[in-house]
Amino acid sequence: MKLKDLRETLRDFWGEFRKVRYGMVGLVMFGLFLLIVILEPVLIPFPETGRRWRDITYWEDNPKNAAPVWVNWFTRKDYTPQAVLDKPEISERKAANTQMVEAVFTYNYKYDLPPIDLLLRATGKGLLNLAVHLERPDGLSIELTKKSIRLSGEAPVRLSLDKEASGAVGDFLKTYEDPDVLRGVSIFTVKPVEVFFARAEPGILRNPVPLKGEYRIKLTCVAVGSGAFLKEPALTVAGRVFGLMGTDASKRDIWSGVIAGTKWALLIGLLTSAVAVIIGVFYGVTSAYFGGAVDLVMMRIYEVFQSIPLLPVMIVVSAVFKPSIWTMILMMCAFFWVGSVRTVRSMGLQIKEEIYVEAAHALGASRGRIIFKHMLPQVIPYAFASMALQVPVSIVYEASVSLLGLGDATIVTWGQILHDAMQGGAVLQGIWWWIIPPGLFIALMGMTFAFVGFAMDTILNPKLRTR
Amino acid sequence: MYWKYVIRRIVSVFFTYVIIIFIYSALFNTVMEKTIRAQIGEQVKQEMMVQSHIMSAAELKRYQEERLAFHYKRYHLDEPFLSRVFWRAISTLKFDFGNSTIIRSAAGERKVLTIVGEKIPRTILLFTLATAIDIIIGVLLGMKKAQKPGKFLDQSTSIMTMVVYGMPTWWVAMILIMLFVYKIAIFPSGGLHSVPPPQGFAYVLDLLYHLALPLLTLVLIGFWGRAYLTRNIVLSTLQEDYIMAARARGLSERQVLYGHTLRSAAPPIATMSILSLLFSVGGGLIFEGIFSWPGMGNLYWVAIQQNDIPVLMGNLAVTTLFYLSGLVLLDLIYGVLDPRIKVGGKA
Repeated sequence: MKLKDLRETLRDFWGEFRKVRYGMVGLVMFGLFLLIVILEPVLIPFPETGRRWRDITYWEDNPKNAAPVWVNWFTRKDYTPQAVLDKPEISERKAANTQMVEAVFTYNYKYDLPPIDLLLRATGKGLLNLAVHLERPDGLSIELTKKSIRLSGEAPVRLSLDKEASGAVGDFLKTYEDPDVLRGVSIFTVKPVEVFFARAEPGILRNPVPLKGEYRIKLTCVAVGSGAFLKEPALTVAGRVFGLMGTDASKRDIWSGVIAGTKWALLIGLLTSAVAVIIGVFYGVTSAYFGGAVDLVMMRIYEVFQSIPLLPVMIVVSAVFKPSIWTMILMMCAFFWVGSVRTVRSMGLQIKEEIYVEAAHALGASRGRIIFKHMLPQVIPYAFASMALQVPVSIVYEASVSLLGLGDATIVTWGQILHDAMQGGAVLQGIWWWIIPPGLFIALMGMTFAFVGFAMDTILNPKLRTR
Repeated sequence: MYWKYVIRRIVSVFFTYVIIIFIYSALFNTVMEKTIRAQIGEQVKQEMMVQSHIMSAAELKRYQEERLAFHYKRYHLDEPFLSRVFWRAISTLKFDFGNSTIIRSAAGERKVLTIVGEKIPRTILLFTLATAIDIIIGVLLGMKKAQKPGKFLDQSTSIMTMVVYGMPTWWVAMILIMLFVYKIAIFPSGGLHSVPPPQGFAYVLDLLYHLALPLLTLVLIGFWGRAYLTRNIVLSTLQEDYIMAARARGLSERQVLYGHTLRSAAPPIATMSILSLLFSVGGGLIFEGIFSWPGMGNLYWVAIQQNDIPVLMGNLAVTTLFYLSGLVLLDLIYGVLDPRIKVGGKA
């Protein structure tokens, strides 16, 4: 019985709702957000974003403060994007106690501004004698570095050629650059990788002309000792532009962070508003039904809660107790329920006076039956509308607290990304790709629920309907 | 009659304030006591430094214990928990917030009340000015919307209302600062005035110049919602019978709208304006920090960064008091605008 009533109310409501165009737009956007949450593992290039957002080793191969890749569409000179080459041509030879590995990476360079680094990664064991050669499109071959590493167990190997090739770059410059220019330059300020991607001619240091074409980076490794080996070599070209939304000052991929934050925003918004509105609706209806002394006491309590400025309290509580995201949600629920009480109570007062409630009373219906069967179903559409409108408020509150650096440090939320942006001087340096995406997502999420909530609101207040 | 109503409201809000302060005291007592104990410890250590050359080690130790006990007693720290919470609440109610740990006022004082006090006028200046401009634009736009509901102006501005609904003002502020301060240097980067502050009339101009961007941001995001609410209120008033009667009498649409409709729509419009002013003060906590506008909101940022607990607590108590005063003010204005309340009738 009860369920059937509810279904009928909802079906009528849906019939009306479908006619409001922006309401439907809101629903579609909501669906898209849900899709983002479901497809998160597919959408983000860094699958461990959620867990290792604050782990700097997870992000160390990325460039710092790199703009999104698509800025190349708008700039005259193209920046090199990040690229990972993990399928080199490998040739292996084995002798009694040594293993020789040669891996050749082919990189097609077609940009105007060179990469900032070349990072070699591999896994190895034993004594490794490494040599890295660069073969340029103009036929020049440069030995970038020669190095021996001793690893007692199986361990990762990481070579930053920007650091390793500082010796090689000196010789290279001596051959091609004007000696007068070289005399005024300290070799330590030269970026080797930038030099190697420029035409070998005078002026390579001051006005380098990019040398486009196919580069071959050859890694040779002689692993000496029994059981010594080198495997899974990969080369990362650390670019100047990165991914869909660039990186921040800690080299993190902002796109991954924003997408991973979506589920938290949805959770915070939906959970908080649902719990808060349910409490508020029950509170309001109960207060209206009982009236008299109960109503008076309940309204007093309500007034105390309503008089507490939530955001300052939340900020101070967060600063003092450093709560987790769940405590924060709980705190918001504990205050947001007041939002719907007044309207629900006045609706309840009206419904209470209806003849059919009186009739139900006369028939001996219990209090619970009257509240649940006759009063609550009528308030439910309103409850949905206020839930929808409460969602953005909750999200913005969490974001505000996080912006102050008081968020839950075990997860990543949009507010926290914005906090890092503030701390990292993104406003000052004009790193717009760090500021705009997280805030835009907050705004879009708010818009989604505003569309839905406002649409419901117009249905519930027929007076506001436009002729 | 009106005064009775006023007094009743003030008394009731005062009790609410007392209750809230007691809740705060219970919540934050432990951390406040930790700070006070540390402060006392430091003070006693300094006193001992002075005495150290005339007293022996044993004497010094006794002296230290004596002084500590004296201060603990003074701050009621030697009593059971409930009574400590009680005394904390009483001193908060007396505006005795103690001394800050790090933050100092402009004159170098460490009294929390002075520190918070000097921020209050700045916050009021920014937010009342912004809200006043907001109300003017919002109410006028709302009336225009209500005149022709469903037409282009109404629909487009309603959509804008929804678009900015969940947009954090401080995020818009960040973007505007990035654009108009660092990319194109039109506005100052923040603060209350230039350093050093100019004198006389130039100071006022300088202040306005620094006020411009925060004000612009607040208004830009603020008035949409107000316009939408005004539209709804006016629209439902327009369907009353007396409006039809006024129209039937041949009054111009202007007279109907600004004379008849606005008068009876005024109380709810005032409510929502003041309520949103109050809420904006809440949201302004974040907002002020972005602009480094040295008001109460910015003080939260600073206090959190410096971990200055007494300032944080004092600021919270004052913010709450403000919030409650706003609620009272709201009731008083409501009483003036809606005569039914004055005579004790049912609204």
